[in-house]
Amino acid sequence: MTNIALPLPSTAPDARAAAKRAARRERGRGFYLYLAAGTALALLFVLPLLWVIVRSLEPPVLTGQPPSVADFTHMQVSNYSILLGSTDDVGVNVLNSLITALGTAALTVLVSTMAGYGLARFRFRGAGVVFGAILVAFMIPFQAVLTPLFLELHFFHLLNSLLGLVLIYSTFNLPFGVFVMRNTFSQIPRELVDSSRVDGAGVITALVRVMRPLVVPGMATTAIYAFLYSWNELLQAYTFLTSNNLMTLPVKLYEVMTQQGTSGVLNYGYLASGCVIAMVPCMVLYMALQRYYVRGLTSGALKG
Amino acid sequence: MQRPEQGDSRALEADWGAADRSSSTGTALTSDLPPPEVRANVPAASPSLRPVRPGGLRRADARTGAALVTPAFVLIATFVLFPLGFAIYVSLTNWPLIGPYHYIGLTNYRDLFQDPVFIHTVIFTVTYTGIVTGPIFVVGYGLAVLVRRNRLGSKVFRTMFFLPFVVGLTTVSYLFTIELQPDSGAVDFVLSKLGLVSDSQAWTVSYGPALLAISVIVVWFASGLTMLILMGAMQAIPDQLYEAADADGASWWAKERLITIPLLRRAIALSLVISVIGSFLAFNQFFILAQNNQGEETVVEWVYITAFENYHLAYGTSMAILLMIIIGLVSGAQFLILRDTTEL
Repeated sequence: MTNIALPLPSTAPDARAAAKRAARRERGRGFYLYLAAGTALALLFVLPLLWVIVRSLEPPVLTGQPPSVADFTHMQVSNYSILLGSTDDVGVNVLNSLITALGTAALTVLVSTMAGYGLARFRFRGAGVVFGAILVAFMIPFQAVLTPLFLELHFFHLLNSLLGLVLIYSTFNLPFGVFVMRNTFSQIPRELVDSSRVDGAGVITALVRVMRPLVVPGMATTAIYAFLYSWNELLQAYTFLTSNNLMTLPVKLYEVMTQQGTSGVLNYGYLASGCVIAMVPCMVLYMALQRYYVRGLTSGALKG
Repeated sequence: MQRPEQGDSRALEADWGAADRSSSTGTALTSDLPPPEVRANVPAASPSLRPVRPGGLRRADARTGAALVTPAFVLIATFVLFPLGFAIYVSLTNWPLIGPYHYIGLTNYRDLFQDPVFIHTVIFTVTYTGIVTGPIFVVGYGLAVLVRRNRLGSKVFRTMFFLPFVVGLTTVSYLFTIELQPDSGAVDFVLSKLGLVSDSQAWTVSYGPALLAISVIVVWFASGLTMLILMGAMQAIPDQLYEAADADGASWWAKERLITIPLLRRAIALSLVISVIGSFLAFNQFFILAQNNQGEETVVEWVYITAFENYHLAYGTSMAILLMIIIGLVSGAQFLILRDTTEL
């Protein structure tokens, strides 16, 4: 790693020539070393994730044997059809996860956007208290209040309910969401909003019409974090949901994994296909909205 | 008598006031200029020509602002602040999961310090944190160095290094239960091909191998996050600093040690704190991968087992409160470290 970026003065007339020279020098030994190391590491990080896809397509006979060429020549989808079929219905759990994750994303975005707008653009008594409460919530891990939450949900009759889970998930995603949305609104030039008000727009109209294009990226950031959090969460779902037809996918997969006793030997093929079902939406969402995800990491975590 | 919803001009001027004040107090990002196309869109209006009536404006302003933050505040008060106070109360009782209870003072906390099983879970969690924190940081730093410059393949590499984190620790743990199986798992297969193990190893059943396997998986899982945090900070360092060092003939390591690392203190502290807190709160990986392993319970796992499997809700709650205090101290240390760092 001997090559550090050379200066590229944009105004100098020979800038392009310098850049070319730099690029050529870059394609030296160091560059190929970088490419080789990067490729090897990328495989190390991705292969285990891709391998589970192969696993999920194995016939049961091969699941109990070490990896071999046969894994690639005998692919079939029976694990999926059994897993999502009528006998061991994971389909309902996928649906529960989807409802919970989408519900959490929607509620978190709505409430964070309102609060972010309020905190960034309005001055009112109690703003300090609200900000303090959000800061406290930012520092309290949900694990610390798992037991009182259980009692509280029981009291509200929200135990064993997806709505209860959505409310809890949204609350613990709020501090991050509010910080992101507050930063988003502070970045919008106030002239833009004010000029729309001159044209006769109210508070909500201004928010919806004028600021929408500028606010949507922040909303996307908030939504993707809330979705991924709820889609993968295990401990709260495991604690607050008990009936089989309400379990989210991670809880159901724990059942699948520990069911060994009932049918003798557990078929790891089911678990593998469950992993793929859990994994693919995360990957797709991340690849599609990577920009917003990384933005949240820098604007929300570092500056909030 | 003007109703607030009719008084657009009021709201308008109210917003002016709020925006002026917020810019003078200087929130973190107000100085960032919007992209040029946004600024170009601003019509040349002159709202300042309208008469200002301060009294009523402030009230409409305050009402709107308060109304906007109310849902967030209600949710946080209901599901964070109240449970927090309630947890402290519950921890001072002998509350089982179901049945009568009464106040017993600090008995639970006194018992905790004499409870060998709880002390073991604390030591185990701290040990695990000690094992993974260093490697996560070193690997994350290395990955960040590899991909921080925009060149051929760097974007693809970044995405791939971060994918395990995106997939989530729950799914990753399920995935490795399959691959850590003796005889059939891919881990044994690869290690024996590399000549690192001679016969098949039941990774998840015994203490040492399970801890080793989980630690390696977590480093693989979490180093991508450290990479992204450090990389963002590295890219913010001006090139001129490195050019000056190059002119002085500085070696790569000298530049890293004398320029990059000192300017990265904030990001380094942040990535370490995120990683330490994550490890203290570890649950999924041990709950899934070491489920049959006595003695490999983390504090959070033990809170769950105590409260919901052994029906000692109050006792479990006192554990959770203690854990929260420890994490609070770590967060506090974070703020102390971050406070007096020189901004670039």
